[in-house]
Amino acid sequence: MAEILAGLSAVLAWQVLGFLAIGVCLGAVFGALPGLTATMGVALLTPLTFWVSPEQGLAMLLGIYCGTIPSGGIPAILINVPGTPASIAASWDGYALTRKGQAGLALGINALASTTGQLTSIAFLAFLAFPVASFALRFGPAEYFGLTLLGVSLMAGVSGGHVLKGVLAGTLGLALALVGLDPMTAYPRYTFGMSEFLDGISFVPVMIGLFGLGEVLVQVSDRQSVRASTAAAIGRVLPRIADAKRMARATFSGAAVGTMVGAIPAAGGDIGAVIAWEQARRTSSDGDSFGKGSLSGLAASCSACNAAIGGGMTTMLTLGIPGDAVSAILIGALLIHGIQPGPLLFANNQAFVFSIVFLMIFASLLIMVIGILGARPLAKVLSIPAPWLWAGIIVFGTVGAYALNNAVSDVWAMYAAGLAGFLFRKMQIPLGPLVLGLILGPLMESNLRRALILSRGDWSAMLTRPILLVFLAATALSLLWPLIRAKRGAAGRNQAAIGDA
Amino acid sequence: MTPPALRWILVGCLLAVGCSGNEESYPSKEIKLIVQASPGGASDMVSRVMASLAEGHLNVPIVCEYKPGASGALAFSFVARRPSDGYTIGHAPVEIAIVRSLGYADIGPSDVSLICLVSKTAPALVVHPDSPWQSFEDFIAAAKAEAGNIVMANSGIGSIWHFNILLLEQGTGARFTHLPYGGSAPALVSVIGRHSDAAVAGVGEVISHVRAGSLRALAVFDAGRAGVMAEVPTTHELGYPIGAPAWSGFYGPAGIPAERVAMLADAFKAAFGTAEWADFCRELGMEALYLGREDFAEFALEQQRFFESQIPQLVRLENP
Repeated sequence: MAEILAGLSAVLAWQVLGFLAIGVCLGAVFGALPGLTATMGVALLTPLTFWVSPEQGLAMLLGIYCGTIPSGGIPAILINVPGTPASIAASWDGYALTRKGQAGLALGINALASTTGQLTSIAFLAFLAFPVASFALRFGPAEYFGLTLLGVSLMAGVSGGHVLKGVLAGTLGLALALVGLDPMTAYPRYTFGMSEFLDGISFVPVMIGLFGLGEVLVQVSDRQSVRASTAAAIGRVLPRIADAKRMARATFSGAAVGTMVGAIPAAGGDIGAVIAWEQARRTSSDGDSFGKGSLSGLAASCSACNAAIGGGMTTMLTLGIPGDAVSAILIGALLIHGIQPGPLLFANNQAFVFSIVFLMIFASLLIMVIGILGARPLAKVLSIPAPWLWAGIIVFGTVGAYALNNAVSDVWAMYAAGLAGFLFRKMQIPLGPLVLGLILGPLMESNLRRALILSRGDWSAMLTRPILLVFLAATALSLLWPLIRAKRGAAGRNQAAIGDA
Repeated sequence: MTPPALRWILVGCLLAVGCSGNEESYPSKEIKLIVQASPGGASDMVSRVMASLAEGHLNVPIVCEYKPGASGALAFSFVARRPSDGYTIGHAPVEIAIVRSLGYADIGPSDVSLICLVSKTAPALVVHPDSPWQSFEDFIAAAKAEAGNIVMANSGIGSIWHFNILLLEQGTGARFTHLPYGGSAPALVSVIGRHSDAAVAGVGEVISHVRAGSLRALAVFDAGRAGVMAEVPTTHELGYPIGAPAWSGFYGPAGIPAERVAMLADAFKAAFGTAEWADFCRELGMEALYLGREDFAEFALEQQRFFESQIPQLVRLENP
């Protein structure tokens, strides 16, 4: 108890809270602009923190971390362009709500569910850190393969009416992920002799192109836009009490899924959100509305991708292992300030751990307030004349793609992906599986090959691992379920299914 | 326009021209420092701390930019193509002596203007604390007894720590099953989670796990003991003079005027002498080591020759 109070009092200074607020606001901007990532924000501001006290520096970095992911959902909801890969799942129901003229409510749910997810995962960090961490450590190569396979399959199975089209997009993403140095032998594959391809195709420009530029091209070719049809309706922001009660289960189970997935190093909110969304759909009495503007679906995915933050922090603080790129930078920042993450931190410096917990709680509450108060002004984006908005998306997309690695090749990749995104939308091939395949492909491939190195090339030896078996069974179910359901009768059948995500 | 006004404009133009003539004093504008890795890693931290400590001596800002990819080959080639005016420099890691041997880019230390070296990091061999191997000798004996039975995680084929594992095999006759990861952090996680048996990574990368008791260090691959892990024996002490350290230096495009290189080197040397740099190196488990222009050039070329001669042999070793 004394440690909790010490941790709280260390952060209750106006300078610390001021830096926290700056961080949250910066994070909100970085998250909402597709080319700018949380990783970039944290990395760019780390040097600034050398000149302030450790609490102030940490407050700013944690603020950015907690601010980015919720605001990544905003462009996903308003213009169907996810700000971060973690908000792909949020665009399914969120954009559908916007088209129904309920953009305000979608933004409100994004703010509330995001903060609920973050707070739940912070509770895990404060009270169950070591059980979560030991679960994360059980993930060897075989388990990673299973998890990533499940992630891509779920995305393929659920993000379009036709499973085959989803599988096609997912496989294409995995194929694109093969470009670059072979992760096991460092042999260059499909690089055509160009060193720009040695590190593979980065997913950020592809995501901006597919979702952003592709959406613009579709709207231009349709000569109409969502803004014209719904007259930029915003509607209420806060959900009704009855709706909130109905969303509660999806929100909290999403938070639990997100925390566990986020705790596994290198897995994050992108997989967490799609698993949580699917879990909520399957357990919902109203599963058919998912993807067509379901409040529970939006809440589950927003909650899960934010809960991954607390999960990642848990692994980082207990084991000294970065859960994602952002926490890798945070470890570096802590080391520079003379703080060593790892099991000893909890034993020797519990007050510091609670300082982090309180900073994250404050950041999480602040981004919720920003999200709710900002919902109406932000939704005004919808009343911008379409050509201006299209031009803006193209400019921000180009700058964002270049800013990632300061490479012109990424800008070309973005434009190429934009054309592909246009064609895919016209052919009703979902884009989510392609992006997730590209992100998870290297993880899936290298871990499958590592698992085979460990089993001396014996595939059957892998099947003795229980966690992997669970993942494989869930994968099979996710791909076969639509077929089973279709066979079980025309009543529940719905070809048009899920939006155009 | 009246003639007096015209005269004043002429005077103004002449003054402007005169002032711009004085601009030749170097440096008069910001210097770009191209980092070959993503923000957040050791290269970035070294570059940024050095830049912030050195810019006071040059009276212009030093701004870091990132061009990650292909073990640094993209950044090395980019810097080499910039004008040699001293306003674009780069962070030179050990990979600048390696990428040509790996075939990533036709560039090496002799194709650039080397400025100075500022730090060095030795590799360390780590195992899980519950593993039966209490010492380096135990470990090597076990690896020899049953070739390929020990799974050795590495931070990526072609990375400097992977070469150290190959040098270990070559130097001791031990044979491992190699498990490549994309960086030191996941390789170390796989040892902590007991998915692999051992790993080699930089002293600075393993030190926090060793202090926390989640990894046990068996040897440091160096001639002298590491300051932060003085209790861990070195390979040289144990009779195996092996080890290829990682290092950090700075360079620019070939042909930067000698006096500008000297000014940059002096600024970095002043930065090197500060207490902040010493503290920073200690925190990250690096050895602060300064080599001036000539010494660095000699060292880097010697490293390049070493990798040129070793890499074909080592790669054969791995694929017998």
